Amino acid sequence: MIRVAAVGDIHMGPDSEGLLRPAFETLPDCADLLLLAGDLTRHGSPEETRVVAREVRGLPVPVVAVLGNHDHHDEQPEKVTAILREAGVTVLEGEATVVECAGGRVGIAGTKGFGGGFVGRNAGEFGEPVMKEFVRTTRRSADSLHAALKELEEEGCAARVALTHFSPVADTLAGEPPEIHPFLGSYLLAEAIDTAGADLAVHGHAHLGTEHGMTAGGVRVRNVAQPVIRRAFSVYRLGSA
Amino acid sequence: MSDPVGHQGPAASGPASAAGHAGRPENVEYRVAHLHDRLAAEELGELGVRAEIRAGAIALTGTVPSAQCRESVLRIAREELAGLTVHTDIVVADTTRPDHAEEL
Repeated sequence: MIRVAAVGDIHMGPDSEGLLRPAFETLPDCADLLLLAGDLTRHGSPEETRVVAREVRGLPVPVVAVLGNHDHHDEQPEKVTAILREAGVTVLEGEATVVECAGGRVGIAGTKGFGGGFVGRNAGEFGEPVMKEFVRTTRRSADSLHAALKELEEEGCAARVALTHFSPVADTLAGEPPEIHPFLGSYLLAEAIDTAGADLAVHGHAHLGTEHGMTAGGVRVRNVAQPVIRRAFSVYRLGSA
Repeated sequence: MSDPVGHQGPAASGPASAAGHAGRPENVEYRVAHLHDRLAAEELGELGVRAEIRAGAIALTGTVPSAQCRESVLRIAREELAGLTVHTDIVVADTTRPDHAEEL
């Protein structure tokens, strides 16, 4: 059995220093690893990122993260990534990593993802250059997720997890105004997950959404945005049934 | 929780006042849009607060990461929506550890 803890959208800043650390220190009791599903900061500033880094530095379980749109706002995601990596966090963008757990190897494929919407109500790669670039951004992200999941197929993992910030499905957006779904996720991410295969997909971003969903191909999706799960993190046990 | 942060103003007096007496009626919708702009643009970077017009008042809902963020949201709302009735239901994110796991 593999125990995956996950949370997103913790939006840390100087005033929230230390709020999550007490709960994070209990992680070894209930989880083998911690996934951070993006929007770890409010603006993606180095100062805010250092608060996140102090919150997770030295935790006794591996920490794997993707960035969110907030972490890009100050337009220095490389700096955000570097500060988190220095604190021991594995930051993924279109990449895969394998974590050795007591219950087996768990592979995580991660990317921020982007918007575009869901089948029948989605943006198309058509028209103005900025519109085409919008959809191509999501497509590139989905393609990288697909490649990362395929790469994990060769690693003999007991479980594969897709980690994104934007949502692969509309299910977990229930509670958000439908009009903004194209800004909350894209079916391209789900298509990548379903064609490459995964045991669980974890995302954040949609604060008003719901925790539980599923892709068209039957992969469980969990929205772990902190306002949705209403706790420091959620824990999913894979392979226990 | 209802937490009035303004006074009942013309826009809260019912549809009759929307027409105004002289000059143009105040358009509350754009004031709500400007509130959203400020919450996103200033120190909060806050995109998760909803502001909706309900029965002539503005209802604010959402979850913010700290008590200080909540205070900032309320302060900005007071400034942007001065003169309107505002009901706030802004909560601070829960940071307790979960008491159970989900079996998948």
